[in-house]
Amino acid sequence: MATTFATRSLLRGLRCRACGALQPADDRYVCGECLGPIEPDYDLDAVTADELRSRIERGPRSLWRYAPLLPVAEPPAHFPVGWTPLIPAPRLGAAIGVERLYLKDDTRNVTLSFKDRPVAIALARAIELGLGTLACASTGNLAGAVAAAAARNGLLAFVFVPESTEPGKVASAAAYGAHVVRVRGTYDQVNRLCGRLADEHGWGFVNFTLRPYYAEGSKTLLFECAEQLGWELPHHVVVPVGSGALLTRTARAVAQLRASRLVEGEHCRVHAAQPAGCAPVSDAILDGWRPVAPVRTPATVARSLAIGAPADGDGSVSAVRESHGSAASVGEEAILDATRLLATTEGVFVEPAGGVVVATARELARRGAFKPGETVVLYLTGNGYKQEPGELDLRAVIDPDADAFHAAYAEVLR
Amino acid sequence: MSVTIRLPAPLRSTVGGKTTVPIDATDLRSLPDAIARQYPDLASRILSGGTFGKFVTVFVDGEDARFLSPETSLAAARTIEVLPAVSGG
Repeated sequence: MATTFATRSLLRGLRCRACGALQPADDRYVCGECLGPIEPDYDLDAVTADELRSRIERGPRSLWRYAPLLPVAEPPAHFPVGWTPLIPAPRLGAAIGVERLYLKDDTRNVTLSFKDRPVAIALARAIELGLGTLACASTGNLAGAVAAAAARNGLLAFVFVPESTEPGKVASAAAYGAHVVRVRGTYDQVNRLCGRLADEHGWGFVNFTLRPYYAEGSKTLLFECAEQLGWELPHHVVVPVGSGALLTRTARAVAQLRASRLVEGEHCRVHAAQPAGCAPVSDAILDGWRPVAPVRTPATVARSLAIGAPADGDGSVSAVRESHGSAASVGEEAILDATRLLATTEGVFVEPAGGVVVATARELARRGAFKPGETVVLYLTGNGYKQEPGELDLRAVIDPDADAFHAAYAEVLR
Repeated sequence: MSVTIRLPAPLRSTVGGKTTVPIDATDLRSLPDAIARQYPDLASRILSGGTFGKFVTVFVDGEDARFLSPETSLAAARTIEVLPAVSGG
């Protein structure tokens, strides 16, 4: 699809987050000066707020409605990604003590996780560069997103996952035709392997060589939340933290919406949610904003957050601090309880990472972090259907007989 | 004592385009000084205040150096690998 006025990016180049150098948007993936992380930089003064809002609102019902604030144009043949619902959650809110609670239900993306967003942007860049293969290091969800995107666009895919990855996630990535490389070790060991391979093959490693583009996709959750709230920022966003890319890009999205004058005013506090078994970011925040100390062996049921050495860890701590947010690291029982509570109060079934977010919100509410009337948004980033079912509280199988039903469920029916 | 240090593509220009170079260091603590002495251009990109900057991760035979003691001997090490600190599951 030709780039049109409505979809033209305001991209100016790639700017280093560490040294501030502005560089050309070529194939570099780290700063040429200091090796720091580089991010697309946009000329937000090139359009008025009214013009930008109008462009966005005329755009497709996908993340590509934010094309002016993305570094590449929509690829011609990809499926729609994003524009997921923001759901009021009064029953869950009552249960955890939050008055105005919303769920950003990103479990409804094509491959059932928010990873379809960053992959859509990385894919667009890969196509722009003429690459024939997509690849990634993944805790599971990204593998499925990369595999599906590659299949849809006729590319080859190599996805690398820890051997402990949930079978449902491995199976779905394989079903899309990807080469699923299972690796003995933790995610961080898989990541190291991929860092090495990224140099040896001319592949589009979405979270290495395409990372400056890939990470931009994560901004679009917050863009959507603000638009869905009538161009108002939520007062609080609770974000699950694995690598920290989603959290840092949430803060970046807030800054871009403000700089482009699409939203005004009130605070938007960004809070970090991590499982106690792998909480390098939350622990750093709760220990007085100290530097992140990596976790050697993550141990948590929330496997999609089991990243012990998060690349955007220190960046996440800074982003939370600058937004006057906070954090929690929540235990395994609390995670599973919260996952069940969300499903039984709001009908939204998430993987344990979602339970981490709900349990964190509950903890923050207990600490008095949310004032009455403030809007609180929870990011739900992965669907529960990819999980192996855990212990289920099921009764015995009955005969196809009404009396058998009444006898078995007498207590419930009373 | 010489051990091999392997560099990612964005750093190879600092050592004449090579992928691997030898480094004379006996233990992890002395590694930054050895790099500064032997490869000053490389050092200017990856060292900060005499230690490794936060945008690189160093691995000794696959083990993240942040989990190792500074006294860790490099005598038996096969490869030290320097990678940009990038991830994102």
